[in-house]
Amino acid sequence: MPDPKSLSTPVIVADHIRKNFGGVSAVDGVSLSVAAGEIHAVVGENGAGKSTLMRILAGVIAADEGEVRVNGVALSGGPRAALAAGVALVHQELSLIPDMSVAENIVLGSTPTSAGFVKRREMLATARSALEEIGVEVDLDEPISRLSVSLRQFVEIARAVARKPKVLILDEPTATLTPAETKDLLDMLERLAKNGMAIIYISHRIPEVFQLCTAVTVLRDGKLIHTVPIPDTSPSAVIEAMVGRELANELAADHAARTVGDVVLSAKGIRAPKVNGVDLEVRAGQIIGLGGLVGAGRTELIRAIIGADPRTAGEVSMTANGRTRTINNYQVAVRSGIGYVPEERRTDGLALSMSVIDNVVLPNRSALATAGVLRNARILDYVGRLADEVGLRPPRIQQDAGQFSGGNQQKVVIAKWLGRRPALIVLDEPTRGVDVGAKAEIHRLVRGLADDGAGVLFVSSDLPELLDLADIIHVVRDGQIVGTLPRAEADERAVMSLASGQKAVND
Amino acid sequence: MAKPTFTESIGVVAPTSTELSTGARVIKFVADRGIIAFTVILIVYAAIFVNGFASLPNISDVFYRAAPIGIVALGMTFVVISANYLDLSVVAQVATSAVIFIGVSNQAGLAPAILLALLVAVIYGVVNGVAVGFFHANAVIVTLATTFVGLGVLRWLSGGSIFFGPNGGVIQSLGQAKVGPIPLSAIVLIVMAVILGFVLQKTTFGFSIRSYGSNKAATRLAGVRTGQLVVGAFLITSISAMVAGFVLAAFSNTAVSSMAEGYDFQALAAIIIGGTSVFGGKGSVYRTLLGVVFVSVLTNILVLVGLTFGAQQVAIGVLIVVAVSIDAIARKLVKN
Repeated sequence: MPDPKSLSTPVIVADHIRKNFGGVSAVDGVSLSVAAGEIHAVVGENGAGKSTLMRILAGVIAADEGEVRVNGVALSGGPRAALAAGVALVHQELSLIPDMSVAENIVLGSTPTSAGFVKRREMLATARSALEEIGVEVDLDEPISRLSVSLRQFVEIARAVARKPKVLILDEPTATLTPAETKDLLDMLERLAKNGMAIIYISHRIPEVFQLCTAVTVLRDGKLIHTVPIPDTSPSAVIEAMVGRELANELAADHAARTVGDVVLSAKGIRAPKVNGVDLEVRAGQIIGLGGLVGAGRTELIRAIIGADPRTAGEVSMTANGRTRTINNYQVAVRSGIGYVPEERRTDGLALSMSVIDNVVLPNRSALATAGVLRNARILDYVGRLADEVGLRPPRIQQDAGQFSGGNQQKVVIAKWLGRRPALIVLDEPTRGVDVGAKAEIHRLVRGLADDGAGVLFVSSDLPELLDLADIIHVVRDGQIVGTLPRAEADERAVMSLASGQKAVND
Repeated sequence: MAKPTFTESIGVVAPTSTELSTGARVIKFVADRGIIAFTVILIVYAAIFVNGFASLPNISDVFYRAAPIGIVALGMTFVVISANYLDLSVVAQVATSAVIFIGVSNQAGLAPAILLALLVAVIYGVVNGVAVGFFHANAVIVTLATTFVGLGVLRWLSGGSIFFGPNGGVIQSLGQAKVGPIPLSAIVLIVMAVILGFVLQKTTFGFSIRSYGSNKAATRLAGVRTGQLVVGAFLITSISAMVAGFVLAAFSNTAVSSMAEGYDFQALAAIIIGGTSVFGGKGSVYRTLLGVVFVSVLTNILVLVGLTFGAQQVAIGVLIVVAVSIDAIARKLVKN
């Protein structure tokens, strides 16, 4: 039940919602009600059913059982009907059209027209007032493709606000935002709620929930665990409810000292778009973390180093098995023993419509073939063993990669390289969008690789992860390394002040 | 871990995945096994109800006619699976191969004709493949352009004339040759299907093509040389078009620059009806062979019952819409 202090009647009510996807229960009899002016958090691990529930509330998908009522009227007829009833959803994945302007995107779907012509003046007025309402300044004629990821997020919210919704649903809006931007967003939501909007807020970031929300609903495996007013609970109680077990202390793993070996990767004077001259070394058995803000050029840096994107200057060499090679393109990088786990696992890491077997075979195809002909028996044995090693759940390697949860998809991407015993593994945001359990397992795999003598280079915007995993942290800002912190000297404050440029570097 | 069944291992049937609802299972069944079921139903139906279908001369005639387009379709399956739509220039390639096969062998003998045709096929494959695979140009536009150039060169050099093979020559006898009751062209079709099917399903090259069609970025980031891969797909199409040109020329003992008009989309029709996805990644050469058999048998039935060419075209058009819709629905179901 919602905050008992607010006696107003709920604006939106979800009544025993049930939804199955092909025999798997995604949402299992969940009820939820949110009143005007309330900011209601919905939390749970990945796959708990949060996004599915929100899509049902917004009419994007239909529930198998149960109904959604807005001001007492049952909702039916898809997303348009939901919008008309006053429910607006800000999607987890951005759904803006890159080549259209900010104003065009904000009014998209309800573009004011007269006799088929766009009423430009009215369109601009609507867009401007929506942006004013959320307190963001951006050029209305700027194409979306030229905006930063965070600005796009705000435009997306403006688009929802432009419909003057009674209920605003946000699905992990802060996942890609910096702390300062997050604060702006939270302030904005508080303002909107004060003006009487009901807000449903999904987040993985528990501190935000406690800072912003009035009540929290916890989902686990599609089921409602409970709804409690924020003052009556605590962060650790919420996390415990989410994962359903006391988080084992293995999350804060063993920091047993590893023996660091010779230099594996040496990069000098790397320049590329958004990379402005970086020298970097990774040694065998060493875990190097790249910290910094989103957009600081870390992804561009690692892609330039391994040759996945062209570099404009700089030299890279890899030493593995006593042989040193110059890395000039990506194929050479792979053959020299580099494994790459990209940031966008769904588009760059996996072929979602192919099986786990096929995905794992891809980088290992030559080793699994005799004279160019793939050997089925060898493949099944090989992939089965790796699925076991990475803890794939369920261990159905014949199943399409797209049918696994985010965490298990990431395990498949790691399995692709694991069997090659890479000399260097490069990971970009290895646990973004991954639940707590899978995160711990991925950390275990990364440490295991380093224990076996591989060099590890990873990018993470997740500060606790960066501090927990890395032996040495390089902080990147504006495409340069602005500071290097050994584990002993690294803490959140040190990394963030370097990342945001608040403090000069003192080596 | 369960071993894949035979049909799964040759790629005709996708491995059955998670629990699906009944409706989804029906659609998936049709998408996976529909072409086999429909082909069998069609043949049984024709054998029982259509006069003159179930005779050896008629059946061998069906294969005889199916061979040239069928061979083109087998090769072009590689381009479709690599998510590069299709190769329009097969129209020019088949005609060029046929004209060289007859025209050049009239002048200089069979061996130089075959060598020249092979050279032309390699040029087509490399030009199309490099433009698409290395320069990332759109395959439809590139192959449209090479069709113009190829047909232009062919008409220019051949003067638009019709070439006839000598009566009783090697080419004519090849065109009429049979092994037992089976025409040689049908055997070429089957042998090509077996070889290309093996290449696509079992080799690292074929595997990489399928993977590339599923996700280009992920395949590149797995260390695959994707440019060479696309060149390979177009080369296979070109070699198949060359063989189809030989078969077509031997068929009538004549060759002319306009003789393969419509081969591009007819081959694509067989590929799509066979169930290979136009989005790339999913499909197989064996499916294309089934598509070829299905379309040929259907056309044969329509001819036998006395329907016109127009009616045949309507039937093929309707089938394509059905096949593509089933593929799209099945994809959506699996995604959900």
